[in-house]
Amino acid sequence: MSQQERVRKEYKYSMKPLFEQRMRSLLPEEKDFAAFEKIVHTQPKNFIRCNTLKISPPILFERLAKRWKVKQPFPDYPEIILIDQDLGPGELGNALEHILGYYYVQEVSSMMPSLALNPRPNEKILDLCAAPGSKTSQIAAKMENTGILIANDFKMNRIRILAATLERSGVSNTVITRNDAITVCSRLAKRNFKFDKILLDAPCSGEGTLRSSPKTFLMWNPKMVDNLSRMQKKLIAFALKVLKKGGTIVYSTCTHAPEENEGVIDFALKNFPVRAESLSLPLNCRSGITSWQSEEYNPDVKRTCRIYPQDNDSEGFFVSKMTLLEDIKEDIKA
Amino acid sequence: MNAHFLSSKEKKELFTQLNEQFGINEIASLLLETGKEKIRAFSGALSKEELLDLAQLVNIEIIGLYIVRKEHDIRLSFDATQLLNKQLKKNIVDITDEQLALWIRGHDLETAGPRGTVIIRHGSDFFGCGKSTGERIINHVPKERRIRK
Repeated sequence: MSQQERVRKEYKYSMKPLFEQRMRSLLPEEKDFAAFEKIVHTQPKNFIRCNTLKISPPILFERLAKRWKVKQPFPDYPEIILIDQDLGPGELGNALEHILGYYYVQEVSSMMPSLALNPRPNEKILDLCAAPGSKTSQIAAKMENTGILIANDFKMNRIRILAATLERSGVSNTVITRNDAITVCSRLAKRNFKFDKILLDAPCSGEGTLRSSPKTFLMWNPKMVDNLSRMQKKLIAFALKVLKKGGTIVYSTCTHAPEENEGVIDFALKNFPVRAESLSLPLNCRSGITSWQSEEYNPDVKRTCRIYPQDNDSEGFFVSKMTLLEDIKEDIKA
Repeated sequence: MNAHFLSSKEKKELFTQLNEQFGINEIASLLLETGKEKIRAFSGALSKEELLDLAQLVNIEIIGLYIVRKEHDIRLSFDATQLLNKQLKKNIVDITDEQLALWIRGHDLETAGPRGTVIIRHGSDFFGCGKSTGERIINHVPKERRIRK
């Protein structure tokens, strides 16, 4: 099936009126909104991430170049490889290099939270909502299988996928835990078990994944956004309890909804001793917005990063990074 | 957490066997045995005591990476053959492109080789272990790591 045919097929889904209205508020220029509307009906590009625990990017690149048209679009991140051609169904998943765990198929915008976290060898890191493990395996690779990485998720079926991802990637520095995120943070905080860095890639309404999951067009509803926003605020409050003073937390979602993004960072800035940090990522980022509907946010939310599909030919994402300035006492309630 | 941390004696026995079969001398990780005689390697910076302490706080499902299965002899996991490839010296069977195409789809190989568990290599890539009868190698590639066509 050609790219054009795939585009046409995806057009059977359209934006719900309220979703369209919200996106038009976020993208007030008609040209910008039109670009967004057009691109969300096309399939995303084929990106993979070299698994540096098993193979080096130049060697993998050389191997893949014999089969596909490949590019390394970001010189500072040679592990990010673009397969710049149409592929048949299952072609990426059935390649020998994938079977061997030499690469992981991952959309480029989803690689940004781990890059923002900037994991280093020998650090103590928590990935709070880890399944399916794409970011966990990316973090473990940057840690060179040293330090300690705790990968938590809640549901057993998601844990199985997470475990399979880490197995294939040759990750050996990880403890997989199955708890709800709030329980795990509460219990660890009671024993003063704290982390240098935390990734909170929160469950979200998925507005950024329209290209790969067009069913999100149908599933989206405003109630879901509000409910998720409340849960995300609770998650970040509890996550901060297990972060060391001076430690870094990256909060990310794959949605554009401000309630789930700047709204959550604003909540953290207003209630906890944290500082929002500027980000330098290899994709085009727009600054976080400082007001939405009737809400005015802390001006520092401008330091967060909105990744729109039309800016990068990617999926949509939101990435933010904060530093904890003072230890948080265990008894603080969300 | 249902895991048993290998004692010094158990580790010594394991490494004697790993050395005899494949030439492996060391795995710089904490080793623990979980269900079905599977041994996992944990390279993280937590001691056995710290892991046990952690298990009191949270529900631990999995620690580290599955590397070895103990049967009457030792079988390395698919990923262990890649991660330990620099140490592998014995019982390696090199296969051709045609044999690889069969092996990675889950078929046994009709080929002569040393009896017992062997490691399958194609070029510089390692593709797990198989059980050799001397004339045939029985495929042990996990189903989820096979090509499905």
